[in-house]
Amino acid sequence: MKTHIGLVRNAALAATLALTAAIPALAHHSFAAEFDGSKPVRLVGKITRVEWTNPHSYFYVDVTNDKGVSTNWGCEGAGPGALSRRGWKKGDLKIGDTIVVDGYRAKDGSNLVDARRVTFPDGRTVYGGTPGDGGPGDNGTPEGAPNAAGPAKH
Amino acid sequence: MSLRLWFIALSHTALGQFMQNSKWGFAIVETFHLIALAVLGGCILLLDLRLLGFVLKDESAVALSRGLHRLFLGSLIVMVFSGIAMVSEEALKCFASPAFRWKMALLAVAVGFYFTVHRRALKSVAKGTATLQSRTAAAVSLILWLGVGVAGRAIGLI
Amino acid sequence: MPLLQQLCQLLYDSRIGTLIRESDYAFSIIESVHVLGITLLIGTIALLDLRMLGLTLRHLSVTRIARAVLPLTWTGFVVMFVSGFLLFWAEAAKNYTNPAFRTKLVLLLLVGLNPLVFHTTIYRRVHEWELLTISPWRARVAAIASLTLWTGIIAAGRAIAYF
Repeated sequence: MKTHIGLVRNAALAATLALTAAIPALAHHSFAAEFDGSKPVRLVGKITRVEWTNPHSYFYVDVTNDKGVSTNWGCEGAGPGALSRRGWKKGDLKIGDTIVVDGYRAKDGSNLVDARRVTFPDGRTVYGGTPGDGGPGDNGTPEGAPNAAGPAKH
Repeated sequence: MSLRLWFIALSHTALGQFMQNSKWGFAIVETFHLIALAVLGGCILLLDLRLLGFVLKDESAVALSRGLHRLFLGSLIVMVFSGIAMVSEEALKCFASPAFRWKMALLAVAVGFYFTVHRRALKSVAKGTATLQSRTAAAVSLILWLGVGVAGRAIGLI
Repeated sequence: MPLLQQLCQLLYDSRIGTLIRESDYAFSIIESVHVLGITLLIGTIALLDLRMLGLTLRHLSVTRIARAVLPLTWTGFVVMFVSGFLLFWAEAAKNYTNPAFRTKLVLLLLVGLNPLVFHTTIYRRVHEWELLTISPWRARVAAIASLTLWTGIIAAGRAIAYF
């Protein structure tokens, strides 16, 4: 399986073997305040941890870059209620599953993304944005634009 | 200009741009919204409990409402301005949100009710009593304002 | 790990804490009750504070308003304590290290001490000043402290999500 990271600043990424256990639970009410719409990230990795929690869910993936260096990334999602309304149940993600996360990197440069679209091992995709929230992939519908990893449009 | 365009325009104002890019802006503005919510809620609660005959029964309902009216208005104004600022941060999300639309509809009805039926009920109830009219007005008022609050919470949750 | 932190971790890991934290609806409902309960707890006591500052309902005596308001405030306190404790139960381990949460607890302690002092001192002689449109300075200090502390508590509560 091809693994790759579509990101501008590879050096910064490789330099941080993130100990992401303490990723702060940033409560973003504006996508633009916490995440950088110009830094799209596509993570392909194995799940190491799932926090199916209110007010935000978090799942962590080990991503291996071209040099074989593994980095742990955090992905922030909506709370369990909002996720289940999008057809995503608690047990759907298991440790070791390989998933694809399309998201946007935190402005503070940490290995945290706002998970806009998640592709499950069975190929199913779930869109994490809300209609009109202004984040990438937002086209005013609950399903989001077909390719969520594009630049934000207003 | 269509309603949607007004929301887009709001998001493009200096206020909107500031709110969208500020880390603490939303939290600070929302804090003012919550403080005003407490005061407005306190006023409505006291007035409606009077109309229900549960508190201050021997006091004039009219005098009570006159005394609280400025506080009610002041807190309502703070809520409207802080609300606009918060909408400017996620204008299109609010426009598309059924919870937001419900909140605005209920708010309009609640405010309209306050200035009409509610006011008349306060005038109609003499000292020491609560009437069917006053109790009904109180119940409707409490339900409307509670609905505004619940819908407001739902905006961020659904 | 300090004992207090261990206790927080125990609460966090418990079945009930986990149930609330991972719930589809329970957490949101409890949190909504907590936020809207601000009206019952803070909104009511604020009216008494504003009366003592001479800013509202000046035609009513301080004791008349206190009699009407305090049962509501106490009801609000129960609602906020229960809902708040349930939220804490679900988030305890995270709350332990959260500066906003710690600040909120300290402010809650102070806002609880304030009426204790108030009621055992100047309020003892309330019948001497209950009809004044503006209450004595000691009562005004208590009122301002109350309003300021409650504002801080609301702000700290809002900030919890940002740490």
